[in-house]
Amino acid sequence: MTNQIKLTINNRECVGESGQTILEVARRHGINIPTLCQDARVEIYGSCGICVVEVENVPKLLRACATMAADGMVVNTKTERVYKTRQSALELLLSDHTGDCLAPCKLACPAQTDCQGYVGLIANGEYGEAIKLIKDRIPLPLAIGRVCPHPCEDACRRQLVEEPISILALKQFAADLDLANGDVFTAEVGESTGKNIAIIGGGPGGLSAAYFLRILGHDATVYDAMPHMGGMLRYGIPEYRLPKAILQREIDGIEKMGVKFYNNTKIGRDVTLDELRGKFDAVIVAVGAWSSVGLGCPGEDLDGVIGGIDFLRDVDLNDKVFIGRKVAVVGGGNTAMDACRTAVRLGADAVYNVYRRTRNEMPAQEIEIIEAEEEGVIFKDLTNPIEVLGEDGLVKAVRLQIMELGEPDELGRLTSTPVAGQEETIEIDTLIVTIGQKLDGVGLEVLKQTNRGTIIADEHTFQTNIDGVFAIGDATNKGADIAISAIGEARRAVSVIDKHLKIEQLTIKPQYLVKTDKTEADLAHKEKEARAKMPHRPANERKNDFAEINLGLSEEEARREANRCLECGCLDYFECRLIKYANEYDVHPEKYEGKMNHHDQKDDIPGVHRTPDKCVLCGLCVRLCAEDVGAGILGLVGRGFETFVNPAGDMHECSDCGKCAEVCPTGALMKQVEGKAVPLKK
Amino acid sequence: MSCDCGNNLKISDSDIDVSLLEPTLVKYADVSGSLITILQKAQDLYGYLPADLLMYISRRIGVKPAKVMGVVSFYTQFRTKPAGKNLILLCQGTACHVNGSADIEDAIRECLKIEEGEISDDGLFTYNNVACLGCCSLAPAMMIGDKTYGNLTKKSTVEVLESIAKEES
Amino acid sequence: MKISVGRGSCGNAAGAGEIFELLENGVAALGVDCPVSVVGCIGACYLEPIVNVLSRNGETRTFVKVTPDAVAGILQYVASSQQSAAAAFEISPKDLENIETQQRIALRNCGIIDPENIDDYVAREGYAAIEKCVKTMTPEQVIEEMKLSGLGGRGGAGFPTWFKWNAARQAEPAPFPRSDSCEQTSARHDGSHKALNKKYIICNADEGDPGAFMDRAVIEGDPHAMIEGMLIAAYAIGSDEGIVYVRAEYPLAIVRLEKALEQARTMGFLGNNLFGSDFSFDIRIKAGAGAFVCGEETALIASLEGERGMPRLKPPFPAQKGYWQKPSNINNVETFANVPWIIRNGGEAFAAIGTENSKGTKVFALTGKIANGGLVEVPMGQTIRDVVYGVGGGIKDGKNFKAVQLGGPSGGCIPAELIDTVIDYKALAETGAIMGSGGMVVMDESTCMVDMARFFLDFTCKESCGKCTHCRIGTRRMLEILERICGGDGREGDIELLSDLAEQIKEGSLCALGQTAPNPVLTTLRYFRNEYEDHILRKKCTARQCKPLLTYTIIPEKCVGCTLCVRACAFGAISGEVRKPHMIEQEKCTKCGACVAACKFDAIEVV
Repeated sequence: MTNQIKLTINNRECVGESGQTILEVARRHGINIPTLCQDARVEIYGSCGICVVEVENVPKLLRACATMAADGMVVNTKTERVYKTRQSALELLLSDHTGDCLAPCKLACPAQTDCQGYVGLIANGEYGEAIKLIKDRIPLPLAIGRVCPHPCEDACRRQLVEEPISILALKQFAADLDLANGDVFTAEVGESTGKNIAIIGGGPGGLSAAYFLRILGHDATVYDAMPHMGGMLRYGIPEYRLPKAILQREIDGIEKMGVKFYNNTKIGRDVTLDELRGKFDAVIVAVGAWSSVGLGCPGEDLDGVIGGIDFLRDVDLNDKVFIGRKVAVVGGGNTAMDACRTAVRLGADAVYNVYRRTRNEMPAQEIEIIEAEEEGVIFKDLTNPIEVLGEDGLVKAVRLQIMELGEPDELGRLTSTPVAGQEETIEIDTLIVTIGQKLDGVGLEVLKQTNRGTIIADEHTFQTNIDGVFAIGDATNKGADIAISAIGEARRAVSVIDKHLKIEQLTIKPQYLVKTDKTEADLAHKEKEARAKMPHRPANERKNDFAEINLGLSEEEARREANRCLECGCLDYFECRLIKYANEYDVHPEKYEGKMNHHDQKDDIPGVHRTPDKCVLCGLCVRLCAEDVGAGILGLVGRGFETFVNPAGDMHECSDCGKCAEVCPTGALMKQVEGKAVPLKK
Repeated sequence: MSCDCGNNLKISDSDIDVSLLEPTLVKYADVSGSLITILQKAQDLYGYLPADLLMYISRRIGVKPAKVMGVVSFYTQFRTKPAGKNLILLCQGTACHVNGSADIEDAIRECLKIEEGEISDDGLFTYNNVACLGCCSLAPAMMIGDKTYGNLTKKSTVEVLESIAKEES
Repeated sequence: MKISVGRGSCGNAAGAGEIFELLENGVAALGVDCPVSVVGCIGACYLEPIVNVLSRNGETRTFVKVTPDAVAGILQYVASSQQSAAAAFEISPKDLENIETQQRIALRNCGIIDPENIDDYVAREGYAAIEKCVKTMTPEQVIEEMKLSGLGGRGGAGFPTWFKWNAARQAEPAPFPRSDSCEQTSARHDGSHKALNKKYIICNADEGDPGAFMDRAVIEGDPHAMIEGMLIAAYAIGSDEGIVYVRAEYPLAIVRLEKALEQARTMGFLGNNLFGSDFSFDIRIKAGAGAFVCGEETALIASLEGERGMPRLKPPFPAQKGYWQKPSNINNVETFANVPWIIRNGGEAFAAIGTENSKGTKVFALTGKIANGGLVEVPMGQTIRDVVYGVGGGIKDGKNFKAVQLGGPSGGCIPAELIDTVIDYKALAETGAIMGSGGMVVMDESTCMVDMARFFLDFTCKESCGKCTHCRIGTRRMLEILERICGGDGREGDIELLSDLAEQIKEGSLCALGQTAPNPVLTTLRYFRNEYEDHILRKKCTARQCKPLLTYTIIPEKCVGCTLCVRACAFGAISGEVRKPHMIEQEKCTKCGACVAACKFDAIEVV
């Protein structure tokens, strides 16, 4: 027989039973009081200090998990004092909590693609799930899986062991397999909201925006100046790297989601921004950066001097492009390599790359440089064009200043300076200039621009100076960037627009995440395993045609490669209460930065993967093992700041029940699983 | 109470005669809450608490190894490694602190060439800092065995250590 | 005639053992009937070794700072009542006055009786109080007498002793009164119901405050006072079993306590059916194993039960559910030692001493930079000035008084300008310090207050049990901030960070150790904020304690080029030609101070 009691929690009358704690009564009424150390199966402990509440007429804060509710009690769980104490408890816990909430690869991806997730799914043979996870962030994985400069791999921690995971190749593998199975996977279209959004520009940013808008149930209409959708993916990337037919399949998938496409429709020429603003609920400007930056030296207006992206676009649009026998390409980026290698394929006898620094300093991807060299491109390192020489208005030669490398500048890049009096002149028929791209702002004059000639868009909301007009991608702020950046911006812009259209409060708060730096020494115990190499066609064969170079990984190679993944991101990320509360309480643990405890990862509890550095000493595992399971395998060792949890004695007494892992509020104890443990959002 | 293991427990290089602990075990094994008392007696007998001995005690009194380890590691009195023949307890209480116990610690470290908890080369000394010996009027103070030395200076500290070393040889 | 030698730990450390032996041998050689006995510490530790000679005419002569050379003189006095030879060692009138003017209740027998001889105690009305209780008072009357006395727990908090006794007496398996129910925790323990009426008396002798030794002195000097106090408490609450939880660092106290218990059993003061009644009580000793937190009563209980000494949530309070889930009353040594006096003299007599809020006397361990260090017992209501400049004789070496630290790691410091603060629970609390268990550490101008705060945080950090977040990690972070301030790496904003963190640790910690841990920092911040600012902003330690902030330089005008410092410097940091002023190379200087010690011309300046 229990007595009913009535109390007030946050000005709400709550009914409980005598013998219940404040926490229990609150929970029963849907009032959530955070706690890391409470569990009904074990005795009250009260270590974490997060469940504190204020009770009227009690001077001290009380632990809700340990305080019996009483009739007439007036409880407040939301005062400033409560908030501060909870916040400080979380900050202190986090100041001694080591790990990575998210893997470095995911954090490095401008679109925050869950690389660890899909790599793990591939390792486990769950290819369908892998492509779904990829397409949660990347609507164009067939394309991106081929052309992305993969910041994910640059961040991959496996390189501390030997080499990074071939994340790009694995993405292509999953996307190719998806394509081979028939129509490409597309996410489900949301229930119609009746809202319609215009997108100017059908490149990776614009197409992705359309994709994400459809998922949310908004209509999307894409206007593009070119004959086909795809933007730079189509007109800036050569066929041998990304076949148009493959790209088209992906674009078709997006169209099938109900996106309307209008090609050959240029803003400022065929349609005006005002018209679109009048017709649509919002406009996304994703026009890219389609004008080449000129050389800025005498002779740059001669016939035969052409911008890099103009050149690549012409190759796609026209059957025949005249470039002559000798071609020089100025610049060291990926577009420069694309131009060089396209020139080779167009039959040039000599293709020179002119670059003011050396191959080591080039921003282009290493593989592109290597493959260009294999195909016979001649690298004129440490040269800089100072004059284009012509005859009858036609390019004949280029005068090159010889350069030398100096000290690093403030960005860490080595400076290059002219060597006085040293020059070289090479004869050429075409000079391709790939030293930068800029916005063609026709029709967008009303949008405010930066002093570098890009559209100003808020970095969080993507809003321009014109209400209802958002801008993303190469056209904005810092200018041309890689495709995956535009895709990331598209998704974030869509979520802002979605809120905007639903007239919901927009709060932009950077997410708090625990991150750790690791060194080679930390991973010295890992066995070395060679990275999978993307198989490609031999140079002497591929340089003669535009067929795709990369052949893709086999299933066996892909799975073996995916298994190399170190699974850096916390396996408990989606269930971790510590990080959930940390973000609810706006923590800043860096102010408490100090000594951190360290114990090596161990799998000394049967069936459990143990990462002691994530332990918050809530004691739940120890108590559950002793009080509920009765095994008493786990114990606390040491005292004070150095206290840690350790199993002791005969592990045969462990019933392998896994309850310790299940009750752990963080990723310190995780149940072992077959294959990769792929944490996914529930 | 019977035990099927022999009286001698092989512990690293030296045998420990567990029969010495038998009277204590008989007296306390069935008295709940006696773990700390048993551990104190065992440390008195053997000078420290080797891991194997702890497992033996755990088995004999039916307290889980995890709990035994938890208790041993919680209290500063317990040692799981051997100590020198003379254990120096250097007081780091408030009175000793303001009267220069840090200098005394330096003197011990320099004289014996050891850090806290280590054994001097001759095996004669180990020193541990302790919170307070409760003889604050003699600050700075240290205790070696049952004997307390007060009003220490760097010089007198070294003299004490040297005279003990001399007696031992 | 009778000789007694003060042989507390302090006396022994000062050489009393040797003096004792010399006297014993000397008396034997003289062939006079003059037993040499042991007494505990009279409190004047700065005068140890102390020898008292009770002459035939009942006159007592006290010899202090006795050296082996002085023994002959004392023996001469014993043999012939001639005192000239030992006159130089006789106590000064001032020192005698310091001892005699103290009002001693808890320490009434310390330094006077032989702690190892129960007859001495009995001769001074020992065990009369318990006899009075058993024979003439009901337990309720005993509690009433305690209530009248106003005795507060001497462990630090000053919580009324009678209230705890009453709670333990009233404690039934039934829940606590309704008014308290809001703070009750769930009762999921399933304690055995076999011995339904079992209750425990626990004496907390785990005196852990660094800088305090009141309890040690009482157990070493007058163990029966504490035993009798426990007996009275046991009678009052209805307990038949007592436990003394005593620090393992007090071997002499344990030995004397064991002897005292044995003698009390023999004399029939412990055991069954005491004084012919149905009241039975016995006491056993549990030695602590080195954990300051075990002074916290729930942690002490955990330790008694053979567990890690981690505090448990209150309520339930020990009076409801304590040792083995049974009602348990815990008081400290000094509290118990006061009890027999109160019963014999009446609660009113005790309450007549002291202030409105604080009754009776308080024992302090007066240490640090004080001229006359030792144990003092003063009535509540005296000022700190009375203690420091009265009994304490002022500051050592003629330096300037800066502050006193009360209450150890849970307490705080009281600055010179508040020296007239009255010794009273409330008045002391208002300064930010606490009465504490009795540690009173005196600091002078050469004490760095930031370093003191760092010292106490280092202590609490090491002694934190590690259970709750705020104490486990918070004290560590506070220590790190203080370490960097003392190390010359203090940052702007550190003061604010420290005070914020201090507040949060007070709010969020589970037990008193954590809740009070920030006090040393908060009080030094309150009274000596300028020292923090000097460390952080100007990178200076005016007390010259924080080595990384010091610079050693040679004053050319004073240096005669004797080269002593060059030879003293182990790091080759000093150079110069003979008979010409020398120089210290700052990059090499480790600030060890060896040069200052070596210099005979006061030519090395430390700033």
